[in-house]
Amino acid sequence: MVEQQDGPADSGSRRLLKVEDLSKSYGPIQALRGVSLDIRDGEVHGICGHNGAGKSTFVKILVGLVRPDAGALVMDGHELHLQNPQQAQAHGIAIVDQELSLVPALSVEDNVFLGSLHVPLLHRRRRLQRKARQLLDGLDLQHVPLSVPVDQLAIGERQLVEMARLLGRDARLLILDEPTATLSKGEIERVFRAVREVVSQGRSVIYVSHRLDEIFSLCDRVTVFRDGQAVGTHGVHELDRRSLIALILGEIEGEHVGEEPAEEHEVRPETAVEIHNLNVPGRVRHFSLEVKRGEIVGLAGQIGSGASEVLRALGGLIPEARGNVIVAGRRIRISSPRHALDGGVMYVSNDRQAEGLFSHQAVERNLTAVRLREISRAGMIVRGRARRIAARLAGLVGVAEGRLGSPVATLSGGNQQKVMLGRGLEHGGTVLLALDEPTRGVDIGGRADIHLLVQHAAAQGNAVIFASTEFEEVFELSDVIVTMFEGRIVSVVPCKEANVAAVLADMTTSRSPVGPDGSAQGAPS
Amino acid sequence: MPQDPRLGRLEGVVRVQTASVAAVALVVSALLAYGAVTTDGFLTLANFKAILTATSFVGIIAVGMTVIMLSGNLFSLSLGTTAAVTAMFFLYALQFGLGLAIVLTLGLGALIVGLQGIVVGAWGANPIIVTIGAGGLQEGVALWVSGGHSLLPPTGETSYLHLARPVLGIPFGIYVFFVLAVITEAVLRETRFGRETFLMGENRGAARAAALPITLITVGVFAIAGFCTATAGVLIGAATANGSLLLSGTYTYDAIAAALVGGNAVTGGRGSVVRTVIGAISIATVSDMLLLRGYSTGIQILVKGLIVVIVVVLMNLGRIWNR
Repeated sequence: MVEQQDGPADSGSRRLLKVEDLSKSYGPIQALRGVSLDIRDGEVHGICGHNGAGKSTFVKILVGLVRPDAGALVMDGHELHLQNPQQAQAHGIAIVDQELSLVPALSVEDNVFLGSLHVPLLHRRRRLQRKARQLLDGLDLQHVPLSVPVDQLAIGERQLVEMARLLGRDARLLILDEPTATLSKGEIERVFRAVREVVSQGRSVIYVSHRLDEIFSLCDRVTVFRDGQAVGTHGVHELDRRSLIALILGEIEGEHVGEEPAEEHEVRPETAVEIHNLNVPGRVRHFSLEVKRGEIVGLAGQIGSGASEVLRALGGLIPEARGNVIVAGRRIRISSPRHALDGGVMYVSNDRQAEGLFSHQAVERNLTAVRLREISRAGMIVRGRARRIAARLAGLVGVAEGRLGSPVATLSGGNQQKVMLGRGLEHGGTVLLALDEPTRGVDIGGRADIHLLVQHAAAQGNAVIFASTEFEEVFELSDVIVTMFEGRIVSVVPCKEANVAAVLADMTTSRSPVGPDGSAQGAPS
Repeated sequence: MPQDPRLGRLEGVVRVQTASVAAVALVVSALLAYGAVTTDGFLTLANFKAILTATSFVGIIAVGMTVIMLSGNLFSLSLGTTAAVTAMFFLYALQFGLGLAIVLTLGLGALIVGLQGIVVGAWGANPIIVTIGAGGLQEGVALWVSGGHSLLPPTGETSYLHLARPVLGIPFGIYVFFVLAVITEAVLRETRFGRETFLMGENRGAARAAALPITLITVGVFAIAGFCTATAGVLIGAATANGSLLLSGTYTYDAIAAALVGGNAVTGGRGSVVRTVIGAISIATVSDMLLLRGYSTGIQILVKGLIVVIVVVLMNLGRIWNR
């Protein structure tokens, strides 16, 4: 960090937005304490920090969803008093949310102009179409026809359509909140290109992400949030990965970052799970795999590769899935979650909202949801036993025992994920843990904790299959890496022999499919 | 554990929602207190009995409605019809003796509504549509079988009158209402089935992924609602001794109103039978007050509607205030 405060690229650039001393508290807890920063014209400004460092609150204030207790937003020399998102939009501040706000059944064109302030009462289709085309082409979406319904697009394309919509409203400040959480590598590249295109037009982008690589490759400057404060704004060229992590975690915790701690787990000789010829119509074809006790298999694939569906099918959530699944020597049925669970497969979804947590129910109830049999006698809940089991699981995953009674929605994202994983741990009868994106939306510290838990479960003799679209995670956690593309296995490689470039290539391109034993899989179709 | 500001936000939401519940309670009690003091004849024992009598039938059905609501299946739109149908059946079945008639009627109620639960649970059908359809079916069958005539108890049969007679000066139905409410609350709080009901009501997708028996729970929940409704049917039949579909009255809507005014989440997962009991008594009290003050039936219904709307609005204000 020897460079001067203002990098050469910054000189002469005008300030678009000045944030002064923003504070916001929810009851006794201060979400933001005096945050000040400025956004310049034509810059990509990264925001990063722990889960719960105040990023979300900050973004919500910018887009008018939350009103600050104190402080000011100054744009063009005027103080903004945003009462609602419409007013933010009128000032040219727009957000591409984690949850997309497109209407799936409407066409791309309709979505681009949905909610726009500029559609005349009698709207002239031809002109709108031309404008929509321009916007889409500008974002590298030349191949997407205007008339196709949005639900037929890939997630990454939808995100770009949402960006097109916001640009169509002449947004001057575009906020991207964790835009790449659900995207594949190729899709991320396109979002990046789109962001660069946007800033080249002189507009500004706020890029919220906990993926440090993205901050480095995309942003001009980055502001780090910690405990509700902006602990500093730096040009990214002043920082390296290590110093950025140190900023995010603070001085004390910064000591042991870098290498992830790992628990040794030994792959045992006995086979835990055999999957023969698993098929999910339209999603997975001829998936065969063998997993030993204590072994962690990582399924690497983009969204739509079928990796997620393999796990869902094993969890009994896809009734039309067909195939032989042999767990601990016994053929099991995967026609329902009950059969799968009784057969020894513990599935943990990647979707906390839809298939994971019971948000308003207490942490204790969430932790014990799959073991109601265990905590009841003759149909009655035995409270003491429920409490004991929940406390043990909470201790295991590092959630404070004092929170057992709180609704799980009041925990941070990382802790929610831990609760979800904890529910599946140490369950008598579980042989295979099927984990879909086990660290989705979790910050660095939480991610390491979760990896430790998975390794611990393997060390206890469980077989683990997990899916991840982040190949870093696949490399960190797997003993064996299975790459998937378009529903088929492309390669099966022990992690130690794997090389990043090859895995990446296998994730993104079709190659002659190879089974776990090296034999050719699946007849040519 | 580091402090998480978002946690603060959520706790804020929870707190404000608790506050809005408190606000509702405060407004209702203030209203009732004002009414109590200013309405002639309100603060009399006879009037309290009248309120409780008015509460009991609706309250019993509302207990069943609450279980459906907590399980995330919104509500049934034909429990009133089922109450009338089971009342008719009870009067018909009296010829087999009182005890058997009660058992058969309760069984029939659980069966009729439980079957609807199979459709909702196994095929994921919309409960509102299913229960509307089932209501039509029940009315049709009842009219067809009865030939359009009212059902009267067998001549000379008086055993049922015990059910319509007050015990220790309080209507028998009130005892039934409170006992049923306590048992149902205990089932919801203390049993595995109750825990499953709350979890499913909170998030059906997560319940499925956690291998909970969705169909079984749904059938159970609807069967309990049918059982409760048939209990009301028995009491209604005994009280009127004249069974026809007209008995269905406004029970369906009143039961939904009681559950909502009590502050149960219409989306499921949060609430209790106790809340419903409070809701039912509050509505009956307000209606009674209006009656004593000489307002017309129209006004009474209007105020009932207003209460439901106000409570629902207050319950939802929390989210907006918290911004």
